Amino acid sequence: MGIQEQYISEAAGLLSSGAVKLVIGYSEGSTTDRRRPVFVRTPAEAERLMLDGACVANLSTYLLSEGLLSDGKSVAVFLKPDGIRSINILAAEAQLNPEQLVIFGFDIQNGQARPLQGRKISDFTPIVEAARAAGLSPELQGEAERLEHISAAERFEYWKEQFSKCIKCYACRQVCPMCYCRRCIVDVNQPQWVNTSSHTLGNFEWNIVRAFHLAGRCVACGGCDRSCPVNIPLRLINHRMAKEVLDAFDYYAGESTDQKPVLATFRPDDPETFIL
Amino acid sequence: MTRILLKNKLDDCIAAWRSAGFSVLAPVRRSDLSRFDEVERSADMALDLVLTERTIKDHFFPQTEPLVKYRIKKHDIDSQEMLPPDRKRVFFGVRPCDASGLAIDDPLFGWDYRDEYWFKRRDNAVIVTIACTASDDFCMCTSVNLAPDSTKGSDVILRPLQNGNGWLVEALSDRGNALLEPIASILQEGSESPAPSASVPVRFDVEKVMEWLADPASFESHFWKDISVRCIGCGSCTFLCPTCHCFDIQDEGDTYTGIRRKNWDSCSFPMFTMHTSGHNPRNTQSTRWRQRIMHKFNYYRGKFGVNSCSGCGRCTRQCPVDMGITETLQAITNLPK
Amino acid sequence: MSEPFEPKIVAFVCTYCTYAGADLAGTSRMKYASNVRMVRLPCTGRISPMFILKALQKGADGVLVSGCHPGDCHFAQGNYHARRRWTVFRALLAFTGIPEQRIRFSWISAAEGAKFADLINTLTEDIRKLGPFDQYHELQKVIETQATY
Repeated sequence: MGIQEQYISEAAGLLSSGAVKLVIGYSEGSTTDRRRPVFVRTPAEAERLMLDGACVANLSTYLLSEGLLSDGKSVAVFLKPDGIRSINILAAEAQLNPEQLVIFGFDIQNGQARPLQGRKISDFTPIVEAARAAGLSPELQGEAERLEHISAAERFEYWKEQFSKCIKCYACRQVCPMCYCRRCIVDVNQPQWVNTSSHTLGNFEWNIVRAFHLAGRCVACGGCDRSCPVNIPLRLINHRMAKEVLDAFDYYAGESTDQKPVLATFRPDDPETFIL
Repeated sequence: MTRILLKNKLDDCIAAWRSAGFSVLAPVRRSDLSRFDEVERSADMALDLVLTERTIKDHFFPQTEPLVKYRIKKHDIDSQEMLPPDRKRVFFGVRPCDASGLAIDDPLFGWDYRDEYWFKRRDNAVIVTIACTASDDFCMCTSVNLAPDSTKGSDVILRPLQNGNGWLVEALSDRGNALLEPIASILQEGSESPAPSASVPVRFDVEKVMEWLADPASFESHFWKDISVRCIGCGSCTFLCPTCHCFDIQDEGDTYTGIRRKNWDSCSFPMFTMHTSGHNPRNTQSTRWRQRIMHKFNYYRGKFGVNSCSGCGRCTRQCPVDMGITETLQAITNLPK
Repeated sequence: MSEPFEPKIVAFVCTYCTYAGADLAGTSRMKYASNVRMVRLPCTGRISPMFILKALQKGADGVLVSGCHPGDCHFAQGNYHARRRWTVFRALLAFTGIPEQRIRFSWISAAEGAKFADLINTLTEDIRKLGPFDQYHELQKVIETQATY
């Protein structure tokens, strides 16, 4: 039985037994190569679920939908290792109770979806360890290296050009599981820290602030990058932040449900190479 | 006998227009994004795209624009209006959907008072549309009473020739005629046939949709919750839409000086209808999605006699979670009677 | 003879160490460059990256952030948190091309009046050599003219 059939059958079973009230998964999109998030509440609807190599979105974002988990009932959700790390972070930041989740874990290798063993968040610890050992987004190394090796002025020009495209649609923020603030800093106007206007300076500030707020929390699911309608390479900035916390603090986000946030903790011997 | 513009004369055309005082804007691909920008040579144009990722709306209603510069003094306020300059522009290679978007928004910007920021740019622009011979899975102009060769909102329409060497040229307005004068000697007489129009299947029944939306019982239907459950509330669809026009006024500056600006805003943002009291009449994504559809296909039509949709399909094309107007209107079309 | 460029430097400092150190420099009549505008916070732990961005937005050519030495924080832990924050934020600014030499961090205790004066003098000269932060301030100028469209 292929992974899709296996998971559909199990999802339908969980729904009919009442073990879960909802399954959040993927279904066919508006074209053959697209997949879209789907919310399945009955065993019959479970037939709409799909699982293949095109299912890349991090569905953990939906778990923080207003009131979804407040009735204490369980929800099943399809997650790749990045999404599993997201759950760990959200649990560590007290945003959800992972006991309410049944996780259909899967990975995509060579364009195919492959099942991962386990259904509870704690079952996936070895998966997260393996992800850490595999290194941070190896596919980004080339691009990231190139940026590190040009001058600061050239880097500024590069980002100025990229950020001038930004329209402050906030798709990057809305799709991100870690951006769950009820009132985002850009929406705060007493005081107005970051200009809301979408001129290059305002765009620069917005993207810097968001990257900073994700430092040590981003799981590189690529949601922001994919959802940006003007194709800004956001993955590069978030990757740089992930690299910094790994190099400076040996920190890899999303290892467990009680991992302390990197900027809320410290070691007395933290590095300080640049302080005068 | 009709007039033809050959592709290999396009550079002469640009030069003639520039001599006549026009800036020429065309589709370009720059920094991994396609949009309209100023060009000096035809080689910079990207005319092979079905349509640009960003719309020409940006050039009439920018994502952020200064309105007034002010300085608060002891007993009065110095203010200086920052209207756009009188800049003549030709938009070359616009798609019929984008052109119609401008025409759809004109009544709104001239509704209760005349928005000079919009009209100054509109009055100084000439829209040269190229009819579509290709479409993709997201185009839906034919579903909203438009077409791949629609002339709405255009001053000149170019129809690609069958042989691929150029376009048939037809002026549609005084402005269009005036634009063809500087290039009269570059145009040729000819009887070549135009290539067939793109084939865009009708994806939903807009009449049925409008009827259902106008029915008061539809407002409270559970349909809205079901159809919008995956919407994440970003502003992609609204900002990339040729007809969406909501904006927010913001003052940027210090205690005594600043600039009042008009910025794009989106009805999909949770804060869009937040009142100072803290009450939010549209505090769920489903009510915001309902508003979007109702506005475009019911309220706007009621006020201005036309739907606020040009069928370009960008909402679905760009949506991070594959939503968009098409799916909702198809679902309404398929609702049991 | 044109005026030499006078950098605008904003310093975000903690009350109990660096600000006291600056006070000491003053009471000891030490002379130091007058380019710095001081903003006093209770502790470096209170200093948000927003402050640095705001300073740059408002025309600063350089920013100094300074507080108690690790282990000496008046609030016990504030500067440890600040140190982590600065490490991350500094990497971010450098990555987006904002020159590292313009945003500086230091530990200056209440007894280090001389260090404060020296640092301000050195920093002022460093930023003077770098020149005004035109790259960033150009963006602000663009805002004040017509919309780009």
